[in-house]
Amino acid sequence: MATLEVKDLHVEVKDDEQNKTQEILKGVNLTMKTGEIHAIMGPNGTGKSTLSQTIMGQPAYHVTQGDILLNGESILKMPVDERARKGLFLGMQYPAEIQGVTNAEFLRAAMNARRADDDQISVIAFLKELDKNLALLDMSESMTERYLNEGFSGGEKKRNEILQLLMIKPTFALLDEIDSGLDIDALKVVSKGVNSMRGDNFGSLIITHYQRLLNYIVPDVVHVMMGGRIVKTGNADLAKTLEKEGYAGLRDDLGLDVELVDEN
Amino acid sequence: MEAVQDYEALKPELAAAANDHGEPHWVVDRRLAAIDDLATAALPEVNRFDIHRWPLTPTDEPLTFSRSSADLAANVPVAADHIQIVQVGQTTVTVNLPAELADQGVILTDIFSAFREYPRLTQEHFMDKIIKTNEDRLTSFHTAFLNAGVFLYVPKGVVIDDPIELHLVQDSTQEKHPLISHVLIVAEADSHFSVMQHLTTQGDQANLASCVVEVFARPNSEVHFSSFDELGPNTTTYLNRRANISRDANVDWAIGLMNDGDTFGDFDSELIGENSKSDAKVITLTGGRQRVGVNTRVTNRGKKSTGNILQRGVIMEKSTLIFNGIGHIIHGAAGANAEQENRVLMMSSKAHGDANPILLIDENDVLAGHAASVGQVDAKQMYYLMSRGITKAQAKRLVIRGFLSAVLQAIPAKDVRQNLTDTIERKLENGAEIE
Repeated sequence: MATLEVKDLHVEVKDDEQNKTQEILKGVNLTMKTGEIHAIMGPNGTGKSTLSQTIMGQPAYHVTQGDILLNGESILKMPVDERARKGLFLGMQYPAEIQGVTNAEFLRAAMNARRADDDQISVIAFLKELDKNLALLDMSESMTERYLNEGFSGGEKKRNEILQLLMIKPTFALLDEIDSGLDIDALKVVSKGVNSMRGDNFGSLIITHYQRLLNYIVPDVVHVMMGGRIVKTGNADLAKTLEKEGYAGLRDDLGLDVELVDEN
Repeated sequence: MEAVQDYEALKPELAAAANDHGEPHWVVDRRLAAIDDLATAALPEVNRFDIHRWPLTPTDEPLTFSRSSADLAANVPVAADHIQIVQVGQTTVTVNLPAELADQGVILTDIFSAFREYPRLTQEHFMDKIIKTNEDRLTSFHTAFLNAGVFLYVPKGVVIDDPIELHLVQDSTQEKHPLISHVLIVAEADSHFSVMQHLTTQGDQANLASCVVEVFARPNSEVHFSSFDELGPNTTTYLNRRANISRDANVDWAIGLMNDGDTFGDFDSELIGENSKSDAKVITLTGGRQRVGVNTRVTNRGKKSTGNILQRGVIMEKSTLIFNGIGHIIHGAAGANAEQENRVLMMSSKAHGDANPILLIDENDVLAGHAASVGQVDAKQMYYLMSRGITKAQAKRLVIRGFLSAVLQAIPAKDVRQNLTDTIERKLENGAEIE
């Protein structure tokens, strides 16, 4: 069993335009184990994406206090690629587009990056795995010969993130709003992909605004984040309550002094 | 690098060599006239780049004709079902032209045979109509000392689907053996075809390569020219590629400039006819102490003509790269459109480079735009690749390849695309990291 622990995490980002730093995370605590699916819900601008980017190691986010531990080892000093090879994966909200590099070539490079030089995946094994996962995600084979994310629609990009998840098989997957911009059919496909990973050797942290995704990927634990902290933790029912009562309702129940971005 | 200043004294030897070579009088006469031009012509102007000390006009190396071994072309993939011509130095090793194309009047032959056999076609176009011999010192030298080349003629209405391959191998196993090579392409009205040129060097003698391409694109023709330039580290290279583009005709350039030695490139599309089009893409990757300067010019003369320039370069180690993009819209070219983008990535603090858009617009009713940048690799792309476990070094190579992919995509043959990709990877791996 593997563990991912976030301890009293404080994170700042620098706004280059205004040239000032702003604290986004103000003491986040979270522990997850493989075999579990956690969901983080919360209103806009509350630090959900910051949390996932900081765990992955995005250089724009500066940890000012606290720690992130993977199996008890601090990963704060590790560069992004090393964190990935240790088993972390971030399904991104806005994946980068890279011309000139085919999807298939990129996938192989990513899979081989975590294997020893004398144990690189064979072409046949790679294609077999690729075909299986393309079928699962209802993706056409031609997607793999296209340049990485280039000219992909929003839905295609999300599927492609999940395809990478299935190919790379990380220990912990952070999935940042993989439901945004998806129609219901695509949502089902993406959920099927994530659910196929469920098991004793996989854990996931799913970030979403909406409860809708959690009908398809039923979480074991739901966290609600507001104002840079986790303010409430519960089971899958918590998400349903939120859907009914809204974030403002929960905030008022908890007596929190947090301003919601979209509140008018 | 002037060894000979008495130009008059060059003439008898030059004329004798050309006559012995069996060249028609008009060719010999043009060579002699070019010597006169050489005496007065200046080097071409290259903004922010100095070629004055380069050995680009070695007049002390007399015009000689000699055979090169066909073995030097051993790496060239010769296939009977390809349309191709292979030359090593001055020697033509292979010509593959399908009979059905020959029957339609397509000509693919070495340039000296063409001078003799097709005087009307060659005399009209060679260094007189598209590029003029007396334009500058490098063009004059080229005509005077020409020693190799190819003539390609595609008659009216002929459409060729497969690319026409020109494999030119510089023979630098021999000392004082410059390659002065001329490719003359005439596309008659309504013809469509693509040409792929591959320049390589065998041997490590220090020699000049003066490689000129002229394209005459008649009305409504379409020519896609791609070039993979891989001349050796001891070769000083002068490239001049120019097209005259008539009404409704289209000439595209996709140039992968991967020479290992000092290179000056002068690329030009003359949009002469109404509604003519050109798209010029140039990529390069420089390393070591290499110096590369490129002038890519599009001149809009015809009404509603459209010209695009896209140049991308990666500068490593202690090399220098200057990209000048020159967009010139002539008065009267109403409705013309000229766009250009010049970008360089600096991979080393010891490298030197610039991307200069130069717009000369003498007409009001036009659309013109430009973008230029000198920068580092894209941080967002690096993060994305590294978040999948790919190391920084490999991620950088992938991002750079993406940056250079504009030309890769425009090359018609998959194996050539792959070769160019491999060359880029090799250059990136060899390039020492200088932060």
